[in-house]
Amino acid sequence: MVGMEHAWLLPTLPFGAFVLLLLLGPYLPRRGDWLAVGAVAASFVLYAFMLADLLGALDEGPFAGVASGIDWLRFGTFHVTLGFLFDQLSAVMLAVVTFVGTLIFLYSTGYMKGDPRYGWFFAAMSLFVASMATLVLADNLLLLYAAWEGVGFCSFLLIGFWHERRSAAEAAKKAFITTRIGDVGFLIGIVLLWREAGTFNLKEIFEFAEAGGYSREYLTLAVLLLFAGAVGKSAQFPLHVWLPDAMEGPTPVSALIHAATMVVAGVYLVARTMPLFDLADPVALHVVTALGLTTVLMSATIGLVATDIKRVVAYSTLNSLGLMMVALGSRDVTAAMFYLFVHGFFKALLFMAAGNVIHATDRQEVTQLGGLAAKMPQTAAAFGVGVLSMAALIPFSGFWAKDAILHGVSEHQNAAVTALVAFSAFLTAVYMARLYILTFTGRPRDHHAYEHAHEAPPVMLLPVLALAAISVVAGFWAFDGVGEALGFPGSIGKFVFFEEPVELKFPSAIAVASIVSVVAGLAVAGWAWWGEARPAQLLAQRFRPVYQLLWHKYYIDEAYQWVIDRIVLALGRAIAWFDRVVVNDTGVDGTAGLAAFSGFELKFLQTGRLPNYALAIAAGALVAAAVVLAVRV
Amino acid sequence: MEWAVFATIAIPIGTCLLLMLVPYRHEEQVRYLAVPKLGPLPDRLPVSGRYLVRYLCLLSGTALFALSLLIFVAYQFEDGGYRFELRLDWLRDVAFLGDNGISFHLAVNGITAPLILLTGIVIFTGVFISWNIDYRNKDYFVLLFLLVSGVYGVFASLDLFWFFFWYEVAVLPMYFLIAIWGASTNFGSFVRTKEYGALKLVLYLVAGSVLIFIGIFATFVEAGLGTFDLPALATVAYDETFQKIFFPFFMLGFGVLAGLWPFHTWSPDGHVAAPTAVSMLHAGVLMKLGAFGILQVGMALMPEGAHFWAPVLMTLGVTGALYGAVSALAQTDLKYMVGYSSVSHMGYVIMGLASMHEIGISGAVLQMFAHGVMTALMFTNVGALYDQAHVRDMTIFGGLAQRMPRHAAYWAAAGLSSLGLPGLAGFVAEVLIFIGVFKAGYPWAGALGILAAAITATYILRMLARAYFGPFNERWSFLKEMRLGEQFGGAVLVFFLVLVGMWPFPFIERISASVKNLPGITQ
Amino acid sequence: MIPIQHFLVLGAILFALGVYGVLARRSAVLILMSVELMLQAVSINFVAFAAYLAPQEFRGLIFAIFVITVAAAEVGLALAIVLRLFRNRATANVDEVDTLRW
Repeated sequence: MVGMEHAWLLPTLPFGAFVLLLLLGPYLPRRGDWLAVGAVAASFVLYAFMLADLLGALDEGPFAGVASGIDWLRFGTFHVTLGFLFDQLSAVMLAVVTFVGTLIFLYSTGYMKGDPRYGWFFAAMSLFVASMATLVLADNLLLLYAAWEGVGFCSFLLIGFWHERRSAAEAAKKAFITTRIGDVGFLIGIVLLWREAGTFNLKEIFEFAEAGGYSREYLTLAVLLLFAGAVGKSAQFPLHVWLPDAMEGPTPVSALIHAATMVVAGVYLVARTMPLFDLADPVALHVVTALGLTTVLMSATIGLVATDIKRVVAYSTLNSLGLMMVALGSRDVTAAMFYLFVHGFFKALLFMAAGNVIHATDRQEVTQLGGLAAKMPQTAAAFGVGVLSMAALIPFSGFWAKDAILHGVSEHQNAAVTALVAFSAFLTAVYMARLYILTFTGRPRDHHAYEHAHEAPPVMLLPVLALAAISVVAGFWAFDGVGEALGFPGSIGKFVFFEEPVELKFPSAIAVASIVSVVAGLAVAGWAWWGEARPAQLLAQRFRPVYQLLWHKYYIDEAYQWVIDRIVLALGRAIAWFDRVVVNDTGVDGTAGLAAFSGFELKFLQTGRLPNYALAIAAGALVAAAVVLAVRV
Repeated sequence: MEWAVFATIAIPIGTCLLLMLVPYRHEEQVRYLAVPKLGPLPDRLPVSGRYLVRYLCLLSGTALFALSLLIFVAYQFEDGGYRFELRLDWLRDVAFLGDNGISFHLAVNGITAPLILLTGIVIFTGVFISWNIDYRNKDYFVLLFLLVSGVYGVFASLDLFWFFFWYEVAVLPMYFLIAIWGASTNFGSFVRTKEYGALKLVLYLVAGSVLIFIGIFATFVEAGLGTFDLPALATVAYDETFQKIFFPFFMLGFGVLAGLWPFHTWSPDGHVAAPTAVSMLHAGVLMKLGAFGILQVGMALMPEGAHFWAPVLMTLGVTGALYGAVSALAQTDLKYMVGYSSVSHMGYVIMGLASMHEIGISGAVLQMFAHGVMTALMFTNVGALYDQAHVRDMTIFGGLAQRMPRHAAYWAAAGLSSLGLPGLAGFVAEVLIFIGVFKAGYPWAGALGILAAAITATYILRMLARAYFGPFNERWSFLKEMRLGEQFGGAVLVFFLVLVGMWPFPFIERISASVKNLPGITQ
Repeated sequence: MIPIQHFLVLGAILFALGVYGVLARRSAVLILMSVELMLQAVSINFVAFAAYLAPQEFRGLIFAIFVITVAAAEVGLALAIVLRLFRNRATANVDEVDTLRW
């Protein structure tokens, strides 16, 4: 019987598919897409068995996960054991990776059909799933880091999948380098943690930290550096700039990597290392909250004006990621993981539905869409479910998760933070509703695109509809009854928690506030954009500077570009110039030149006349004699 | 197995001699035979002299690769001591020489085994890369194999006299290889001729050898044993002041060849001027001789001196790592970019050595291997492109990945290993170096080193995005995929990159067993 | 017995004459002769020292014989050069022969 001890097989399956596709891809029927889909589906099945095993173990009392490992490196006292750890946290994350992954793979067989690099797409996607599963299952920081870089690399490959487009190539580069900047901190943090504890194993590090092995300041520095990695990967301010650009990749990539799985790896990392954050100075969690909140507000406001359908969804992803970080900043692992869980479904749904629109119309700008609900009703309905989930309207799944976060925030943070989070819920409702209204209702703005639009083929539609159904119901896991019926010990709070099981509560005050703000948001969006409504344009003209600021995404990209052009590249050029002119031409060639010059000048001493030489010899002999005499005396 | 170690030196020299016998004509008009009495051989041979040279070299390269692999695999000892020892007396009881005097003393330990393997890989692939060299290819291969014999000699020699001898044998053919088969480059505002690159390289390295020579003789005299035998010299406890004065001779003398900042400028110019296979050998193997010398001679003989100078070495290493990376960022010439990246990666090696910590030094040795393979792959790629396009300016290319997908994939593999992507060799080595550096108490150096790895990512991806991705520039529509030989060589190199990245155990096991035996390192 | 100083003074005078000759003369032949004078001055010193310091041994005398031999060989060679020079340039004035310079 397969169980938790087979965790290693989970990444191995898609990795095997990757290797096979890489080597044999062109020779397989259908370029081997069935191999990739089959591998991911098989890992989902394996996951189901592992989950059943885990639930069985949970019944028998406290459980901390099963780990297995192999020696990867060994020095006298220094071992690196690469192991896989399966516990509740990884179980929730893997549910999203394998299940949503399978649906997206299926969807891709339709979406990518006819692409010249069809086989390569599935190879890279398989590699991604393998890396992501490794990341989630890693029981030590080194393997986690390795997988972390691995998913970043796959993201690079897949964002740049259509690399003949300059923008795609640039976006891929930007994504990799931006996250890499965060990873510098991440790796330093890992080494700092190792330096004192002498191990990379997460559990041993936690034990070491609880025993007081790290000084408080040291630990604070280390976790902040870890968080730097999370900031890069989860696209938090100020390293968020890569995520919107990453939409240059094919839509299934955006759905899988830049919505459901990879970008939440940062959230997962912080949740995983929460014991360390807890022991560190509170300032660490304050930083998490602050950056999360900044990301939330920034992305929500930019979402109000962005016009690219995928980019708006990307900004909503930033919004959600920030929200999860705020929850983690409030030490509320359950709420963050709950949101992560449902977010995986409805965000993938939003992207795939948006993908259907793009596939049907070949347009991405909402200014060229409109009225598509008539042409593609099922997609529109599914997209609507996604929008309402994202906007967190009761009883869609987003509502329960977001209320859990709001509840956690209100308990741990001050009123201002809570108010800002609630306000962001209002903004979210506004821009999500705006996106739906502009895309699916009203009059078509580009008739050519509208004429050609058609409902997606079944292979692309069914996964969307399945996700829509799940997005409606997934939130009910907040209730003990639902959880128990599914075989869990109760609600998600009793399955995933930090320190002790959590009873998820939905106090009426918060629920009402949330519902009111969402409904208000939907209403405002309807007022501003519905039908022939003009208020949005009027507002944009009235508050032109604000509109410009949002349209230019707070000028952060421009600022970075300026820094790169004027400072980083200038520094590079300065050093290259220094190397050539000062070190080489002056230091090296200068020395050589000096030797040549002195040789040139000194050669005139060679007159060629015998008496001169004779005189020099005689004078030299006299001087030598004088020196000998003087020294002797 | 002693014969295998001996053969790694004997085979390249034998190849040189055999090649000299190959009947050959350099120009159409002149026809001369090395063995006149045998008559007009070319008519009797099934292949022309040009191809005979190639096949001989292929044979010899394959044999060297197999032998190196054999030595690497056969070296499996927990205690990390010297094995496969071969000792032939050469000079003894003469003048100032004692009983042992100078002997032809060869042996292999866990540090040299991977480096010998590296040499085997690089010369094996180098033959494939050089397959199409037409101009005087006999002379070219004679010099190339002479150089390789020197490299093997340095790695295997346990006698300082022979160590120095082989060191010079490895360096000097470089001059002719670059000056005759190299390429001059016009950068508009300035010109770098191949003669300039060759001259600078050789002058620099000879200047380094002068320091080494002084160091060797000072050690010889101070020890007073009348022998140049390295293990014998290592048994002497040298005076601390002596160590402090003379360690810098080894540190800087070998450092020059290791591309130690600020004595690195010969390296980018030399790489750029050199033909592809020579760049591969040069950056891939020769620069390692320098770092190896610091470890094998400097640190093994003078642990206290090394300890005293370690902070300086660490500073120079970090400076080199950052400086090389930032300089590479500003380059538009592909080969200069690779050249500066070599400076940067050798900076990591220096950092690992300077950590004086078991893990750091093991990481440094592994980095020598990893960088050797990776940079060989990079030069293969540059060469493959340059042979067709005759330019190396990355800004004028675009979308080459559509035209040469495999070529782009090889570039990506090399580049990703260089920026430390897990699963490829560079990552393992770099992480070990950083760990050692942090553990040894230089957190600032480790942090800056990790930052340099991020800068590496920037210049590598910038190059890929510019030259290989984006819309295809129709001007290059005549370009074809890499030659099969180049593809094969690249595949061998990629294989080793992935092997070390995924399964570094066999390498680390050998390296760390021997590193543990070094005096004066912490564990 | 004649004091050694006499020999040494004679040697010094001969040597000084030789130096003067080498420096002041233009003719290659005369320069050669001056060189011979210097060599003989040295020989006188050798012989004198040999006789006064170690009369039983012949080291100094042997040196003198060596000097004479070398001088003879040198003159043979040098005169040949001078001869060739004169044939080519029709002069033995060393000031006019300065081709061997930068």
